[in-house]
Amino acid sequence: MTAFTWDNFLQLTVNGWVHGTAYALLGVAFGLILGVTGRFHFAFTFTYAISAYLAATASTDWGIPFWPSLIIGAAFGAACGMVMEAFVYRPLALRAGAYALLTIFVASLGLAIIGTNSIALYWINEASLQISGFDNRGINIGPVTLATLDRDFMIVTWALIFLLAAVLRFTALGRVIRAVRVNPEMSLVIGVNPLSIYLVVFAIGGFLGGVAAVFDATKTAATPDMGFNPLFYAFTVAFLSGLSLRPLLVLAIGLGLGLIESWANLVLAPQWTQLVVFGILFVYVALRPVHLQALLNKVLAPVRHRQRAMAG
Amino acid sequence: MQLQINYVDLILIYVIFAVSLNLLMGFTGQVSVAHGAFGAIGGYTLAYVFLNHHWQTFAGMGLGVVFAAIAGIVVGIPALRLTTEWLILLTLAFQIIVVSLVQTLTQLGGTYGLQNVTPLNVFGHKLLQPTDLLPLFAVLAAIVIFICWRMGESPYGRVLRGIREDELACRSLGKNVFAYKLTVFGVTCAMAGLAGALLVITNEIASPALFSFDLSTTIVAMVIFGGMGNLVGSILGATILVLLGPFFENVLSFNAQKAALWRLVAYGLVLVVVMLVRPQGILPEGAAPIRWVRARMAERRHEKLSPELELAELRGGALVDVAPLVDEETAPPPVPHVGALVDAPLHDDTLLEDAEERETPASTEPVVQVYGLTKRFGGITAAYDLSMQLNKGTITALVGPNGAGKTTVYNLLTGAIRPDSGKVLLKGEDITAMRPDQVALRGMVRSFQDVRVFNRLSVLQNVMLAVPDQPGERVLQLFGRWVHSTRVERQVRERAMQWLDFVGMSALAPFPAGALAFGQQKLVALARVLATESDVVLLDEPSSGIDEQWVDVMLGLIEKLRPQGRTVCIVEHNLHVVGRLADHVYFMELGRITAEGSFEDLTSEQRLAEAYFGTA
Repeated sequence: MTAFTWDNFLQLTVNGWVHGTAYALLGVAFGLILGVTGRFHFAFTFTYAISAYLAATASTDWGIPFWPSLIIGAAFGAACGMVMEAFVYRPLALRAGAYALLTIFVASLGLAIIGTNSIALYWINEASLQISGFDNRGINIGPVTLATLDRDFMIVTWALIFLLAAVLRFTALGRVIRAVRVNPEMSLVIGVNPLSIYLVVFAIGGFLGGVAAVFDATKTAATPDMGFNPLFYAFTVAFLSGLSLRPLLVLAIGLGLGLIESWANLVLAPQWTQLVVFGILFVYVALRPVHLQALLNKVLAPVRHRQRAMAG
Repeated sequence: MQLQINYVDLILIYVIFAVSLNLLMGFTGQVSVAHGAFGAIGGYTLAYVFLNHHWQTFAGMGLGVVFAAIAGIVVGIPALRLTTEWLILLTLAFQIIVVSLVQTLTQLGGTYGLQNVTPLNVFGHKLLQPTDLLPLFAVLAAIVIFICWRMGESPYGRVLRGIREDELACRSLGKNVFAYKLTVFGVTCAMAGLAGALLVITNEIASPALFSFDLSTTIVAMVIFGGMGNLVGSILGATILVLLGPFFENVLSFNAQKAALWRLVAYGLVLVVVMLVRPQGILPEGAAPIRWVRARMAERRHEKLSPELELAELRGGALVDVAPLVDEETAPPPVPHVGALVDAPLHDDTLLEDAEERETPASTEPVVQVYGLTKRFGGITAAYDLSMQLNKGTITALVGPNGAGKTTVYNLLTGAIRPDSGKVLLKGEDITAMRPDQVALRGMVRSFQDVRVFNRLSVLQNVMLAVPDQPGERVLQLFGRWVHSTRVERQVRERAMQWLDFVGMSALAPFPAGALAFGQQKLVALARVLATESDVVLLDEPSSGIDEQWVDVMLGLIEKLRPQGRTVCIVEHNLHVVGRLADHVYFMELGRITAEGSFEDLTSEQRLAEAYFGTA
């Protein structure tokens, strides 16, 4: 547990802001895929890890600088997502009809297991891979320390999220994505092929996840199972934002979650803080807004009844 | 030898996991990716009380089972109202929370877990070797398989399958879906707790790694691979997937690390390939290898197979397997000739005997009374100050334009939604705040505009599900009064066949209801409603979406309910139907009843004639 001082509080706030930015990026990426395509893309955990591994290979083995390596890694993650959509999810969705959600979830679970263990088999002699080429230093801003990697990560992430928000809001592509999300069958009638849009969405989601993965691995290291925890955060943020196609809302929720998790250090031991996030997810799912509203209506019913009676 | 027996022990543990998850997932439709977490609760409880309080192993195991059951019920309560994606998320969150918790709590050993949970002591005998554990594990696995089989392959299991197919339809037939789901959550999670305890005994340690998310996905893989809704499939799935480990290690001579990774890759491949190639698993629901062998033997003896077995043979052993788990080789069911249906006896002697017993002339005796019923959805008033009455032995029609609130009235009467104000009396009893199943049990059932048959259940099972007072649907009687419930099951089958005869659908009894034409499904739905033997029957657009010949069949059947003393209400747009059937008509507009009387009264009102009937 961290003692409460203003300096500590500010540092925790900055830490929470950085973590929250990462959660937001994951939430945007996963929420976009699930929200538009309806595919419960569990193999996101694999595309996340493979992005980091490819970036590590590019930067360390091939000697490519950090930023191009990041783009290579993220692009490969996007490509993997597109391949899964084209060759596994799409055929399954066409066959499974109303049962597609569960069928695709199970297949995606299988892809995640194959992918992460294949990484482990391929790099069986290395427990983890490092990404090189980034000069990570601490910057002191008053009482707060911020790493350059975190600073750059926030700049890149915020820029990507704002860019995606602008694309979805103002461009023809964005309108088509929103249309497909609302009614894929009807979009066919107006000449939009939803399956092509699904591929685009998998590409965008995979790329955003890949960016998060490369920064994550640069901070620590790339490991085969590095995608599991981020995936759970992605679930949490995406569902808390109601699978919204408003990236700025997702950003706000991600930041909120990051701050709550970070501030929890003031009252809880560090090992408990992750439980706070998943506790929030559990309670949210158990008492979704619709149930909360029903509960509220039940509690307020006598009050409203009295008010109506008095008004009458 | 001990190594091989150790694998057998492991298979038995995974059989317990897989069979119990199948009952939850395959039969009841409740997806869970947290079965490993419930195992953790059982395993950690045993390890904790064994190490810290020196409890006997069996006592610790029992406590673990109880804790896992309680946890299952706690998770099951919010799960009752969740759709699949939310259920996946809920169980996923639970899995992470449990593993994080055991990893965090120093009392539970943190990352290293609780070690030296050894050895198992049974009446003073220490079970040191895998061979010592085998008989105990075999007995426990047999008990679990027996319980799951008894619950799954019985009237109880039929209800579970009904819940999986359509919860609302199940509730409207008088089944307490909440109780069923909670019971299954509790029982299956208790079994997972038992398997978790056995896993701890085998490994002599309770650690987060032992109960990680991998364990849960492995169990899911076993169920999917074996076949959802087929317990034999789960046993096969668990056996094959456990044996993959030694296969890679011993047959392909991989080292232990490599073999473990290859085994996991194989699990993943199994999931993907099975979903792509054979989504119903190696043994689909309804496929019974033993029955298949018996059928082959009977064939050899040139014995005639029963029609049900013949059909099962046609379908590759799967009686109730439809899209998306559809077997492409399946022949389409024969569609009965409409003429044959019209000519078919629309009654059955036994049913008519019953009808005569309760036959009463059309009366003014109110069976259902509605007073001032109001329901608002936000700013929209779906029903406002509705008052109406359904009399015994009469047919009442509820007509009005689309969006008038007719179906909402059915939802309000049957408890599917709660009114904001007003009262509904059924035979004098206030049923306003009751659930749909409580209303159905008191004698008022409904059909649905969109039919809502249980697609993957056979036509016969659809109707059997509706027959009231089945002891086999209650878990205690299922086990406590086996002979009685088996005897009643035969009667239920006969009764259901009589109702199918009544609607002319008995020829299609063994086929999955989802494979029938819409008109046929409507007749099955009617048989299902009638099989509840309820006094009040609410039919939602019985003639919509079916052609004229089927309409005549349907109307003939509904007319036969009146002399049985049943109270019928129909929501209908087809004025020909209303004119032929209705003794009394309520006209609804914008959530209000604006006119009532006989069909002739209403059609002669100029305003209604111009606005709705189009006969002015």
